[in-house]
Amino acid sequence: MNHDPFLWGRPSNDTYGAYNHAIAQASVQEATHDQLDQFPKKHTQQPIITGTSVIALKYKDGIIMAADTMGSYGSLMRFNNIERLFRVGKETVVGISGDISDMQQLHRILNELETDEEVYDNDGGHNLRAPHVHEYLTRILYNRRSKMDPLWNAVLVGGFNDDGSPFLKYVDLLGVAYGSSTLATGFGNHLAIPLLRQLIPNDTDYVNVTEEQAKKVVMDCMRVLFYRDARSFDKFSMVTIKDGGKGFDFEKNIKIDNQSWRFARDIKGYGSKQE
Amino acid sequence: MNATVASEYSAEVHSVPIEHRFNPYSDNGGTVLGIAGEDFAVLAGDTRQVVGYSINSRYEPKIFDVGDDIVMTANGFAADGAALIDRFRNQLKWYKFDHGGKKLSIKSAARYIQHLLYGKRFFPYYVSTLIAGLDDEGKGAVYSYDPVGSYEREQCRAGGAAASLIMPFLDNQVNFKNQYEPGTDGKKKKELRYLTLPEVLDLVKDAFSSATERHIQVGDGLEILIVTKEGIRTEYHPLKRD
Amino acid sequence: MKAVENGGTSIGIKCKDGVVLAVEKIINSKLLVPGRNKRIQTIDRHIGVVYSGLLPDGRHFVNRGRDEAQSFKSIYKTPVSVPHLMDRLGIYVQNYTCYNSVRPFGVVSIVGGVDDNGPHLYMIEPSGTCWGYSGAATGKGRQTAKSELEKLNYEELTVREAVKVAAKIIHQAHEDNKDKDYELEISWVSKEETGGLHQFVPEELLEEARKLAEDDEGEEDEEMES
Repeated sequence: MNHDPFLWGRPSNDTYGAYNHAIAQASVQEATHDQLDQFPKKHTQQPIITGTSVIALKYKDGIIMAADTMGSYGSLMRFNNIERLFRVGKETVVGISGDISDMQQLHRILNELETDEEVYDNDGGHNLRAPHVHEYLTRILYNRRSKMDPLWNAVLVGGFNDDGSPFLKYVDLLGVAYGSSTLATGFGNHLAIPLLRQLIPNDTDYVNVTEEQAKKVVMDCMRVLFYRDARSFDKFSMVTIKDGGKGFDFEKNIKIDNQSWRFARDIKGYGSKQE
Repeated sequence: MNATVASEYSAEVHSVPIEHRFNPYSDNGGTVLGIAGEDFAVLAGDTRQVVGYSINSRYEPKIFDVGDDIVMTANGFAADGAALIDRFRNQLKWYKFDHGGKKLSIKSAARYIQHLLYGKRFFPYYVSTLIAGLDDEGKGAVYSYDPVGSYEREQCRAGGAAASLIMPFLDNQVNFKNQYEPGTDGKKKKELRYLTLPEVLDLVKDAFSSATERHIQVGDGLEILIVTKEGIRTEYHPLKRD
Repeated sequence: MKAVENGGTSIGIKCKDGVVLAVEKIINSKLLVPGRNKRIQTIDRHIGVVYSGLLPDGRHFVNRGRDEAQSFKSIYKTPVSVPHLMDRLGIYVQNYTCYNSVRPFGVVSIVGGVDDNGPHLYMIEPSGTCWGYSGAATGKGRQTAKSELEKLNYEELTVREAVKVAAKIIHQAHEDNKDKDYELEISWVSKEETGGLHQFVPEELLEEARKLAEDDEGEEDEEMES
């Protein structure tokens, strides 16, 4: 059997002419290499299976980050149990949205970084901390975008600076990086950030936020995202790092509580109903 | 190539440009401004970073002390800006290793940055670059660049999102363009003179608060780096956050 | 050729619950910072190594081990098993005996680790010879160490006990090299004690083992059989 999907069930060549195998460099059987060379080398892809928003904020003792566990294939819920938060080293969390296979590649790279810096380190030198992980990711993502072969992700890195103050920064597929007390990727940027900034209006205000307040606003954000982001899910993971990295709490299988879909019946004008 | 009848596939046959392409750039807004005085120079920029209509961060500094009493900024596509400044810092470090710790003059730094930018002529750094410092005589110096490395030394320059709003204001207030001596019926131009540091700082603050009013990508905070013979110091002033 | 085996004594002990590695680190200069310049290294989270001979050759051997372990992990997403890693390293070391443009490795390495099949201990020689052991010793005091290792009951010994035994053996082996000072380095890898990670033993335990070894110096070994 021929395993090239392009040849399955295609209308007969008599009607449409032979398939041009040079398209997308699909299969080389009939196309010569000269023909293939006429097409630009195609690095750039598009995300296939994707993870939606990651959200995070600083609070007085550290960092909280959350992400749901779904992997979407377009509008299909392809996977419902994908972990998108990763611990790197002793006290750093990395949350990744965007393409899942690129996420797994990044996870592998981060694991190797951890082995290089923490396992091979014999003399107990300085530790791998969040700022280093973030800088490293920035270089990886920027170098890949410069090769026009990006890793299709937006990433949050949370942890601590050398002086023990909380660290939270973002970097994406272009290599664009920034820090803030409240961060979110993707849809979270539109839906969660306003809620987070309500709690932390100024960048330095996180010092007044308790863990309880922070966790409540995370739950609120995840709920709002679940209401309005069609590619989101009601099960999520949350990482809390506090006290300069002494406490690293990884909570999994959290369900979004207090859902109320009453608002939905008042929504008019988007769906199939003519009103 | 085979003769084909129009179909989903055959239509694509010779359409070489593939319709959707990864765009390696984004516009991260923000604006910057440099002014040189007689014995000082300032570089100022807002601290807001945006993409589209979203504010990424209200405090993401983009003006840096890169060493040897030179301040630098590269405004536009933030990732390129950061990469360019990183590269310059690194090269400056190597310059010192290779030349026994010799100080890099602002004019050499300026030429070097041209090479960094022009080296990527066919995949440019999408930024307006400015550097400021003191020249060999101790006079304030500002150098400005286009994305591919064309550069010149100027008395003042605005770059980034609100450059077109600020630059004419600067022409008028720093170089006294269209200003005439009162009572000469527009015959005698106002004579050029160096502005003092307080005058310059007031100009910078006015320029940014006005740009904040009229440009959505400008605001949140203003960070000014001031180079004098004593060294570099930083000032911060809040801007409107709307 | 055998001159390379005259460095400080290294030993490895395979116990029922893990592996202990120890080395007599000869202090070549008083200016060296105590507790730094470690001799025992980690190849992967679960595998440790110690060697005697030309130290730079040992470093190179470890780097190769790390590359092999990382490449295995990257391809199979599972940590490399100790026997398989040793197969690969054996081939690598043996290759250096095949060409006149290179010289063989100047180290004898003792590699210990735990994996899904429990603890493993290997010793690999410059020829590429690579065998599994219950107790392994190399370096200047290897004869003394080997005769002590032969007295151990490997079925019953635990890593916690073996740490003390190792300290004692290194101390005894040092008799052959008495004119120089040494520093004791001990690491262990065990499911029970370290969660399967190769780590240096805690400071207190090391100190306790070192004291015990030094106090026992006068009276000869009696309670060796445990």
